[in-house]
Amino acid sequence: MSHRQDLYLLFCGLILGAGSATAQAPARPGYDINYIGPPMADPVMQHSKETYVLFGCSYCHGLYLVARGEATDLMHSRLVGSDENGNVIGPLLRRGIPQTAKLSPMPQFSDLSDQQIADLVRWIHYGRQQGRYQEVMEAKDAGPGHAAAGKAYFEQKCSSCHATAGLSSIAKKYDAAALKAQILKPQALEAAPSWKVERLHDTKTTAARQRHGALLENYSAGDVANLMAYLESLK
Amino acid sequence: MILTRRDFGKLALAGVPSLAGLSSIALAQTAAKPNRSYINGVQFGLQPFCYHDLAMNRENRPILIQRLVQNGLGMVELHAVWYEPNFVGPGVSAEEAREKLRNWRLNPPAGYFGGIKKEFDDNGITICTVYVNISDSYTDAEIDATFEGAKALGAKGIVGSYGLAVAHRLSAFPGKHGMYASLHNHDNLSDPDAFSNEASIVKGLAYSPDFTATLDVRHFTAGNGDCLGFLERHHERVSAVHLGDRRKNNGRSTPFGEGDAPIIEILRLIRDNQWPITALLEFEHGTLRPAVDEVQLMFDYCKRALA
Repeated sequence: MSHRQDLYLLFCGLILGAGSATAQAPARPGYDINYIGPPMADPVMQHSKETYVLFGCSYCHGLYLVARGEATDLMHSRLVGSDENGNVIGPLLRRGIPQTAKLSPMPQFSDLSDQQIADLVRWIHYGRQQGRYQEVMEAKDAGPGHAAAGKAYFEQKCSSCHATAGLSSIAKKYDAAALKAQILKPQALEAAPSWKVERLHDTKTTAARQRHGALLENYSAGDVANLMAYLESLK
Repeated sequence: MILTRRDFGKLALAGVPSLAGLSSIALAQTAAKPNRSYINGVQFGLQPFCYHDLAMNRENRPILIQRLVQNGLGMVELHAVWYEPNFVGPGVSAEEAREKLRNWRLNPPAGYFGGIKKEFDDNGITICTVYVNISDSYTDAEIDATFEGAKALGAKGIVGSYGLAVAHRLSAFPGKHGMYASLHNHDNLSDPDAFSNEASIVKGLAYSPDFTATLDVRHFTAGNGDCLGFLERHHERVSAVHLGDRRKNNGRSTPFGEGDAPIIEILRLIRDNQWPITALLEFEHGTLRPAVDEVQLMFDYCKRALA
């Protein structure tokens, strides 16, 4: 079995496992539960996933972003990592990539609605965040982190929102694995977004969720090791 | 002389002693017997990449056969990975795996291909072609072995996603084995080496009388090609079509009937002219249905077109 197949099965297993625990109702007729997985607890995300499958994205890029054949690896694409709410992916989907060295150019999806594009983008970022979380959590070759490099990363990417003083106790609170998980996916941001009117304009939480999602999509295992070393140094 | 599949059947029954003088393409087409998926004048088969949930490897071959039977298909274009071993694994470099595969191809186990052919034969499935992406990494001996392996599987030709340069090198091989090599197009109009439009396919076909075209209808449509015109002009050199739907202008793949590919017209053209062109179902569009169900929908769509 190839490394790529191993990864695919791993992601399928993880995500299917997670889906099983939170699945809603049994799948409907004509729904390939073996391929798409049990319906997710979040119907919006489930709809996004189905949209991604229906427009054939999964055929080339893989349902969980483990690419098949010559398709672009969305899990590690810098372009996807730089996207914010579809500002990069959306236009690219609409125009396709006709000029390419690959056998089959990326088709254009000019007929999709804004909502459909948004659904595709949502699933791509979700899948990437799930996959990258798993990769970094399981990374074995990151080596020991360097506090100085972590400090530099923190100042560049984190300090606009987080003060050092507020983080000084975090390394005391968590063991290494939990600290890594907190860096990747802060528990405080994991609650489902609310559509109550008084919460609609909670831009701080929304922005924080998006910011941490974007960081998660772009962290290297080394970045996280360095950040952990820096936080440890603040104890 | 245009000889149809039926003509060849009559010739064979009449005990024609020799078919010398015919190209390997014509010779190969003599044995294309109608089978369970021969529908109203058109021989259907499957490009099993369609079962996108099924990893293409030797271990899954029994499931592939089971699904083909379930879909009522009696012909398949078998990708080599369904029968060749995969030497990629932990501790094995890509170069080592490639060398092991080369050695395996040159020295396959005795009776190996016959055994696989029997698996398909026993289930009423004919392997019409072997899909193998021959590249510069293939030695001449390896190309010969690939043809011999395909022949032992009962295939009449090989097909793959190679370009003009590889096709030029390949031109000397199929005739030696009494087989054909088929040129399969994608829709990359920006690569001068790629088979994509009519001109590039015609250029490739000129390299050898033992070359055929496998017209990928989806890609040809996406590249704004005229499928019907191509078949009308070059049907004698077309051994198969990959039948699927896509939109023009590098558009996306769609379920049958929702794109710009003239699927119904193509099928009727093949039927009414009695061309021995195999229609290989292939889809890359998305679906929430199990792949077997989607293939059945596609097949049923085609059956209705020919009813």
